[in-house]
Amino acid sequence: MRKLNVLRAAVLSSLLLMISSVAWSEPLTLQQLFSEMQTIATETKTLSSGFVQEKNLAIFSEKLISHGIFSYQAPDRLRWELLTPVASGFVLRGGEGESWNSLSEERNSFSVENDPIMGVIAQQLLAWARVDLDWLQNRYQMELASSQPIVLRLTPRDEGEAGFIDYLQVRFSADRRYIAEVLMAEQGGDSTLLRFTNVHLNRELPREAFQPPEF
Amino acid sequence: MFANLYIRLQKRRGWLVLILLLLVLASLWNLSQLKVEESIASMLPDGKSRVASDFQLLQQAPFARKLVIHLRATEPIETTELLAATDRLRDALPAALFTHPLSGPGEIRTSPMFKELGTYLPFLADSDDLFQIAEQLTEERIDQSLATDLAQLMQPQGVVLKDKIRRDPLGLERFAQQKLRYINPLPGVRLVQGHFLSRDGQSSLILADTPVLITDSAGARELIDAFALARDQLPEGISADLISGHPYTLANAEVIQADIRLVLSVSGIGILLLFALFLRRVRALAVYLLPLFSIAIALLVSSLWFGQLSGITLGFGAVLLGITIDFGLHVYFALLHGNGSRAELLQTVSKPVLFGGLTTLAAFSMLLLSALPGQRELAVFAMSGVIAAVLLALLILPHFIGKGSPVNALPTQGFKRHIYDVVPNLRWLVLFLWLIVVLLGASQAPKLKINGELRQLSYIPVELRQAEERLSEVWGNMRGRALVFTGGTDLQNALQRNDQVWALLGQHNIQDEAVSLSPLFSSKQTQQQRSEAWVSFWQQHRATTQSLILQSARKYGFSKDAFAEFFKALDQPPEQIDIERLERWGLTGLLDNFLLKEGADYQLLTLLPDRPELISQLEGELTELPGVTLVSQSRFGRQLSQEISSDFNRFILYAGGAVLALLLLLFRRVSDVLLALLPVLTGLLVMFGGMGWLGLEMNLFNVVASILVIGLGVDYGIFMVCHGEQAQNLASSRAVIVSGLTTLVGFGALVLARHPAMYSIGLTVLLGISAAVPTAVLVIPAFRVKRS
Repeated sequence: MRKLNVLRAAVLSSLLLMISSVAWSEPLTLQQLFSEMQTIATETKTLSSGFVQEKNLAIFSEKLISHGIFSYQAPDRLRWELLTPVASGFVLRGGEGESWNSLSEERNSFSVENDPIMGVIAQQLLAWARVDLDWLQNRYQMELASSQPIVLRLTPRDEGEAGFIDYLQVRFSADRRYIAEVLMAEQGGDSTLLRFTNVHLNRELPREAFQPPEF
Repeated sequence: MFANLYIRLQKRRGWLVLILLLLVLASLWNLSQLKVEESIASMLPDGKSRVASDFQLLQQAPFARKLVIHLRATEPIETTELLAATDRLRDALPAALFTHPLSGPGEIRTSPMFKELGTYLPFLADSDDLFQIAEQLTEERIDQSLATDLAQLMQPQGVVLKDKIRRDPLGLERFAQQKLRYINPLPGVRLVQGHFLSRDGQSSLILADTPVLITDSAGARELIDAFALARDQLPEGISADLISGHPYTLANAEVIQADIRLVLSVSGIGILLLFALFLRRVRALAVYLLPLFSIAIALLVSSLWFGQLSGITLGFGAVLLGITIDFGLHVYFALLHGNGSRAELLQTVSKPVLFGGLTTLAAFSMLLLSALPGQRELAVFAMSGVIAAVLLALLILPHFIGKGSPVNALPTQGFKRHIYDVVPNLRWLVLFLWLIVVLLGASQAPKLKINGELRQLSYIPVELRQAEERLSEVWGNMRGRALVFTGGTDLQNALQRNDQVWALLGQHNIQDEAVSLSPLFSSKQTQQQRSEAWVSFWQQHRATTQSLILQSARKYGFSKDAFAEFFKALDQPPEQIDIERLERWGLTGLLDNFLLKEGADYQLLTLLPDRPELISQLEGELTELPGVTLVSQSRFGRQLSQEISSDFNRFILYAGGAVLALLLLLFRRVSDVLLALLPVLTGLLVMFGGMGWLGLEMNLFNVVASILVIGLGVDYGIFMVCHGEQAQNLASSRAVIVSGLTTLVGFGALVLARHPAMYSIGLTVLLGISAAVPTAVLVIPAFRVKRS
């Protein structure tokens, strides 16, 4: 469970992207921010963006930078794909999905019911897509770390999750239309930084967007 | 002798009434103190027989004593909805009746087992695992493993998997996790959100214990009502079945009650008609009271003898003692319709009554040799009842069926005015028809088989059978697997033997179908051996593997000490797996089911598919292993059939011999003996042949009920042959007809019952007596006329 909570945090850092495309010109309270997030969520049918991921992990000899794309289509489809350095990722279509890894040339099917890890990912994605504030506030202590630019700091409430994740830091773009960065600081010093680019809302996505690639 | 006794007691009727009343009172008091054993065990062989010990062991099977609640979606449904309904039902079950309700192992993902299990691989990996691991240590496979690790670390789930990848970059922990599949006693289960869920996601389970005894029908009613009430709260589209012994107990109790009402109504009307047709006197009621007094005395004697009686013995005994009406009827008809003084008539009729009683006693006494304790109890019960009935018929009854000269006396030459004297050729027709019936019976009798399946003795409603089938279809055969018990004087001894059993199953390639603790929890000796093999394996492969891992690690950007934890674990294996470790991993429930402790002794349980060919194949080899016992439900049924069959054959043989000896003693002429045997032989042939022709099988109940046919059949023969030889007319034909008809309406009416046991008794009696009575009344005189 502890691991799954950590996973939730990881997913959270990715999915805050979906609630970012709102224009803020004035400083907001957290409640106002959440309210706007919910409005945006109900209007969001599709979402796509690119991202750069920087992993500072002790397991790697140096910072590992990767590039990828993220797509979401309501109510339950998504794609998380790394393009470099290892083409890998997963697509999810409702309760079923497929993951792939071009290095080992492996492609595996999974269902959220049989794979608890992917189950949690799906649960998190849907919770964030629907902006389930009860759930969000139940899981994290939130504070406004900075108002110019807006930076949210999320601290896990769950003990198990807190054993892995120190905190999450979410920075919004200057125009507050989207989340520009998510920093996930782990206990022990490892960290992951995600920078989102080219965010598009409600743009029609091709059917293949939620299909795995051919090797 | 009986004539003198009759004359002496004639003026002491008051004393006779007093003695009878005292006997009845003593019996009633005894009945109030009597302990009745309700278990079916009394009808299973006792002592050191295989069947008896197998029966005891079968009771220890997982789920044998559990309440199993099977929830299923009757239309496609979301898993979360089904699981929520499962929890609601579980919580709605009253705790007093459903103890420890369990809808799953809980959030097992929180168990430290999943993190720690891999580190115990040195104690879990067998030679096959090491072989497969060796195949994985090539340059290509190691490179592929690290590539997968890298890809996983880059994905969102990488945060979760990071620590695991550090300590197990090659994914070897899966070899440890694979051991968990051998400890799953529910073949069709997967664990979702801490619940038991079927593979198709449309069924879930709740397991519970209960303080309600399986034999307690009132408790079963309460339990089932409480379940029905809780089940009503389920949303539409989800149904639930309760599968345990209790619904069977209740269904059997209810159907028996309904059957008794029906049978008593039918037989009551039948007996009233017989009374109106043949007896027509209030004093004849004394004849009908005779079996009741006999049962009371039998109860007194056998409870003093055994202290505790089986409920089945009591039921059967009471039915069997219906035979005692026979003696009363013969005395009644002789005294009321015979020619001569009461004392003379009583003296004359006493001979066939005594010999009839003796042959019946001889038949019942053979049950004393039975391997079934219930049948031995039955022997004592029935013998004391028969002795009481004979004495009551000859000593007491004559004083209560009227005084003075016989009424409706038949002509002295009544026998010679038999219908055959009126229509002489009729006897040829009778003999021809009898021969046809005998030949038909003889041709069909070999088809009759004996079935020891205990379930056959119970009434199984269609809905319960369907519920069992649904359970088996979805979850596999969780309640009907063969069990291998491996005993030892201490835990390590038992574990070592269990490891030997597991190795044997491996030689037969059936480990994948088995459930055993051995792969996860083996003896210290086996764990030590595996550990040594593990160390030796890595001494051989470590250098190359380390080099290949570091090479690929560099290629994918892993740090130099990224997998230091993995190499360190190779050098420092943990402590061996013990019970405390398993309990810490949350496997206490599993241990309770598969590790049984009796005093200092331990028994480990292995489950196997109960396929007859597999059991035959394994039986010899398994039983050669020390401390190992194989118990199979299918084999248990076969063995019980063999025991019943052998008991029955012995019974028929010995009873036949004893009856023959008594008949020779009585008649001292072979032709008379053969004539006297005609009704019983015809009755048995028609009974066996009829059942064979109808495709029915002999069960415990038929075996015991056939004693009734033998006892009555022999009595009919004795009375009719005596009748032909004696000067006095004892109205034996009428007595035999009334006795036969009383038996038919009394016990043959059971054929209308829905309960298989009662139906079996009814059918046996119906077939046997229907043939024995006409044979006695028509066939014996047909032969006798010819002889005359």
